[in-house]
Amino acid sequence: MTVYSFYIFDRHAECIYKRRWLPRPASLKSPGGPELGQTMRTGDDDAKLVFGTVFSLRNMVRKLGGEDDNFVSYTTSQYKLHYYETPTNIKFVMLTDIKSPSMRIALQQIYINLFVEYVVKNPLSPVEHPGGLGVNNELFEESLEQFVQTRVLA
Amino acid sequence: MLHPDWLLDPRLDSPRDELASCFPVAFQLARTVFSLIIINKAGGLIYQREFQAGLRKLSTNDYLVLAGTFHGVHAITRSITPKLPLASNTSPAVSSPGANTPTTGYSYPNPGTPASGLESLETEKFRLTCFQTLTGTKFLLFTDPTSGTVDTVMNKVYELYADYVMKNPFYQLEMPVRCEAFDRHLGAWLRGRT
Repeated sequence: MTVYSFYIFDRHAECIYKRRWLPRPASLKSPGGPELGQTMRTGDDDAKLVFGTVFSLRNMVRKLGGEDDNFVSYTTSQYKLHYYETPTNIKFVMLTDIKSPSMRIALQQIYINLFVEYVVKNPLSPVEHPGGLGVNNELFEESLEQFVQTRVLA
Repeated sequence: MLHPDWLLDPRLDSPRDELASCFPVAFQLARTVFSLIIINKAGGLIYQREFQAGLRKLSTNDYLVLAGTFHGVHAITRSITPKLPLASNTSPAVSSPGANTPTTGYSYPNPGTPASGLESLETEKFRLTCFQTLTGTKFLLFTDPTSGTVDTVMNKVYELYADYVMKNPFYQLEMPVRCEAFDRHLGAWLRGRT
């Protein structure tokens, strides 16, 4: 299973965290190099498009399935998008390859075990993120990296 | 003369159950379809029909909005397909931040297939399968999330559309579908009765 990217949106539709994983070059794997290959910040546009998509789909699903329905994932011929929304309207989105199993539980774990523990409980972390000031927390980033890595290798 | 016991045979109490036992797979698939929506290539709603209760009913206006929204979202889902830079064997694994210059080439995760928009959407209460024809018409099938693949149903719907809508000389392209024969055959096939 491959994870392509991961996004967190707060309740004001602001992208507060984004990360993209590129697959490591097939032939070259230096022992000292980062296991998942280099990471790269994407442009702002991708995050906005992803937010627009999940926002529209969520509203569509709620209209058809009722207020308590929630969309879980969608698949195209190229990738699969997983979605999890907390009761406080923080949205977790992950893009993986199409063969991956449901990541709903994984996203929930990221929220409970990583986001709440390292970001929410951090007294220095801002509650709101105006103006694109995202989650800037080493502990969170490191453990997220580790979490995804164990998922990828599993 | 029929023996009275035969008439009381529970296996024969309705022709519908008899049918179901003959074609269990097709019947099971057909049983779970909530509704069908057809969207033309411009994003307009041209057909909407409910087969089984399960989803909330919307007003005609809401269905039009839904069709238009889906049309747009479908296009966006195709454009956010992850692009993987072509792995060049010469690039170092440990890169400096400056090495993030845009690479010239990229490939999609499944290079064999062209990038498509949303094909299947899962929620807690239903599954939406979208099939886009080569001409851009989209068929949206809402089914039970527990049911398996709906390819059979989708193919049959497309076949019926081709037979009774496209071959109807009075049907105007891109306009709402008002073909009685299409309605009839669709209903007959999806409900398993005539």
